[in-house]
Amino acid sequence: MSQENMTTSDPETTNTESDQLIDTDPGRGGLDESSGRGSVTSANTVIEARNVNVWYNDDQALNDIDMRIPKKQVTAMIGPSGCGKSTFLRCINRMNDLVDAARIEGELLFNGKNVYDSDVDPVALRRRIGMVFQHPNPFPKSIYDNVAYGLRLQGKTDNMDQRVEDALKSAALWDEVKDRLDESGTDLSGGQQQRLCIARAIAPDPEVLLMDEPASALDPVATSQVEDLIADLAEEYTVVIVTHNMQQAARISDKTAVFLTGGELVEFDDTQKIFENPESQRVEDYITGKFG
Amino acid sequence: MAAETQSDTDFGEVSQLKGILFEYLSLGASLLGILSLAALLVYVAVDAFGLEAADPLWFLIYFVTLVVPTLGFVGYGVKNRAVGTVGGTSLLYLLGGLAATLALSILFIIFDAQQWLLVYTVGVLPAALVFIYGRMKEWQQANLLTPIVFAVGSMLGVFLKGPLATFPQKWIIYLWTLGVPVAALLGSRALNRDGRDAAVATAVGTLAIAVAAALAGPALTGLNSDVTLLLGLFVGAPTLAYVARVVRTGHDGVAGLLMPVVIFGGMLLGAFVVQQVAVAQPESWVTWSYFTNPPSQLSAEEAGLFPAIVGSVFVITNVAIMTLALGVATSIYLEEYAASSGLLGKITRLIQVNISNLAGVPSVVYGLLGLALFINGLGLGLGIVLVASITLSLLILPIVIISSQEAIRSVPNELRQASYGMGATRWQTIRNVVLPQSLPGILTGTILALGRAIGETAPLLMIGAATTTFAPPTGYFDSVTVMPLQIYAWSSQPSDAFRYGVVAAGVVTLLIVLLTMNSVAILVRNKYQNES
Ligand SMILES: Nc1ncnc2c1ncn2[C@@H]1O[C@H](COP(=O)(O)OP(=O)(O)OP(=O)(O)O)[C@@H](O)[C@H]1O
Ligand SMILES: [Mg+2]
Repeated sequence: MSQENMTTSDPETTNTESDQLIDTDPGRGGLDESSGRGSVTSANTVIEARNVNVWYNDDQALNDIDMRIPKKQVTAMIGPSGCGKSTFLRCINRMNDLVDAARIEGELLFNGKNVYDSDVDPVALRRRIGMVFQHPNPFPKSIYDNVAYGLRLQGKTDNMDQRVEDALKSAALWDEVKDRLDESGTDLSGGQQQRLCIARAIAPDPEVLLMDEPASALDPVATSQVEDLIADLAEEYTVVIVTHNMQQAARISDKTAVFLTGGELVEFDDTQKIFENPESQRVEDYITGKFG
Repeated sequence: MAAETQSDTDFGEVSQLKGILFEYLSLGASLLGILSLAALLVYVAVDAFGLEAADPLWFLIYFVTLVVPTLGFVGYGVKNRAVGTVGGTSLLYLLGGLAATLALSILFIIFDAQQWLLVYTVGVLPAALVFIYGRMKEWQQANLLTPIVFAVGSMLGVFLKGPLATFPQKWIIYLWTLGVPVAALLGSRALNRDGRDAAVATAVGTLAIAVAAALAGPALTGLNSDVTLLLGLFVGAPTLAYVARVVRTGHDGVAGLLMPVVIFGGMLLGAFVVQQVAVAQPESWVTWSYFTNPPSQLSAEEAGLFPAIVGSVFVITNVAIMTLALGVATSIYLEEYAASSGLLGKITRLIQVNISNLAGVPSVVYGLLGLALFINGLGLGLGIVLVASITLSLLILPIVIISSQEAIRSVPNELRQASYGMGATRWQTIRNVVLPQSLPGILTGTILALGRAIGETAPLLMIGAATTTFAPPTGYFDSVTVMPLQIYAWSSQPSDAFRYGVVAAGVVTLLIVLLTMNSVAILVRNKYQNES
């Protein structure tokens, strides 16, 4: 548990060894509820939401979400602005803990363990669930230090140069920055910054990657690079991606969840089914652009 | 139809009268402020440097030899930015080095050099080596080990002082404890820029210059060997390294290196001409002996500010350390840890309001607090360094806290989110993201607050500080006076020479110390700003 730049004990990491924090007990997640939406079998569920409700002060942002996100697949979330996609994403790695106004009810299981149980350390949880934010937010540090940030936090400091290079290559940024790793990450263009944030998130090898509109600031070339990256990542990681781009969701995801205004999960199924033959009329209207 | 065609091409006019009016009003306000400050400074400077006694010819000579060439060069530097940068930087190296030399000389009057040698050798140096090793090898335990090594080593150093009898000469102590780190620092900078050979040359060169200055300096300048060593180390070596780098890299602004030559050459030339022509010179009260003499009450010519300068520097150093440590810690707690809702949140807000109010409490009240708490309560001595330092720290602590909070609050929340999202703890986020980002702001606030502390008299009078002491303090329990108090004492002397000349010289000295302090702090701040 030794991290770079840490001289004293963590005030937050009251729990023990981070890697053993959440017991991986597939048995628990596998309460065979065939009612689970989206026909994700319990065996390959990695994240499961059960009756998740979220309020910001008195405004409800998520309404009774039930969902099973499958392992090593790409799950896309689409829906109109303000319907709670980012909120749901932030619930998964407990980033909403940082929002004072937020209140969550229900269960959110990661590998079968409720992440809101009192014995779960959110810091350890976030080390296993990486996140790319809606707005690029690189640190005002060098490009290298940005990518190395998570590695140093977690003490994965052997082969740093190689790991940084790999992460930058995966994020399709290496060729543009390989000669100026010492320059500040904030001097990059918006799209480059977003790819830097992706590199930063994948460098420490998280199990799940949450991406909030990672391609919204990218040009078509970089977008397709990031989409390729997501396809590659899905061979090893579970990827949950929010996007406003229907084609993108259709291209890259295996499952698609459609949220609609009011924080409801209206439909969650195989991507193909959602786009070709949605159950709900509202979803069809949304996808075909009649609404939202 | 004519009207319509006209509106297509004629866009009309939007009145900007208010904006223009406002622009000139604010310009006028700032000019008024700056001009009245300048008038005040000129007024004080005329008295302090005794300019009235000088022949008009004297002004003319210096105008021609010093002011015109300098202004000309500055004008050239403004037009040719590269030259300007190099010129400014080389001046900064020289003046910064001088300031460092002065500050260290004064601090070593207070702190025992032999004690420092031991603490450095067994505490500071090993700790620094562990830290650097940890950085280079990404060895995590180093961060934990460094403070332990430092604490244990320093304590050992303190205890070693008793048994050890013989110590090397002062300049050798300086060479080992200051020369080696400076050489290493300059060397490592050269390593990053120009590679290995340059690094070795820089480090060895630095030490050589320092030794040469210590050995040859006293004969040339009449100063002590330890002072000349410091000059060689902090003025000579960095400046030379800078010159070498500018010349070798063929920088566009090479000509800027002439800037110091123009200024100091102008001074020397002016002095030479004045001597030849034998015109009446100003009868300056600001002389070398003014800085090194104790304050005479009888003869204005012999009066000096030495004990008060040392006292001020000593007290301000303590205040800076205390307020930075306490202020930053408090502001971090209030901003990053303290609950913002519920009962605890209410308590936090109450504390917050109180801190804001404390910032406005008159300084005499703090003096009263110091008197009641430390002297009557704890039984500490009247007017000693310790009580003065703590009282002034309490006085500016609220200001430091509030400005640090402001700086911490201005760190974008996205950066915190990014850090937490990577699985950083709160402490790691503060350490790696919040503090580096807010440090420039924190330092700015602290500098301003220290400026206030160095000019305070009222609270020090309340805790019984003497207005005049004849020897500088050498420890925390010695009685102390500071510059404003001494100046105040002189101002009530009957003779005009005291009331105008000596007092004005004191004010100038106070300003010089203040400016030096501020520029050092600004340098530190800029360094951090560039890094982050
Ligand atoms: N920190 C917050 N405090 C209060 N309300 C919030 C906060 N964050 C989000 N909300 C509210 O919660 C609702 C859902 O927001 P969320 O950011 O999850 O939407 P989204 O689906 O990600 O939208 P977009 O596509 O525009 O990013 C919105 O009504 C928003 O106003
Ligand atoms: Mg969003």
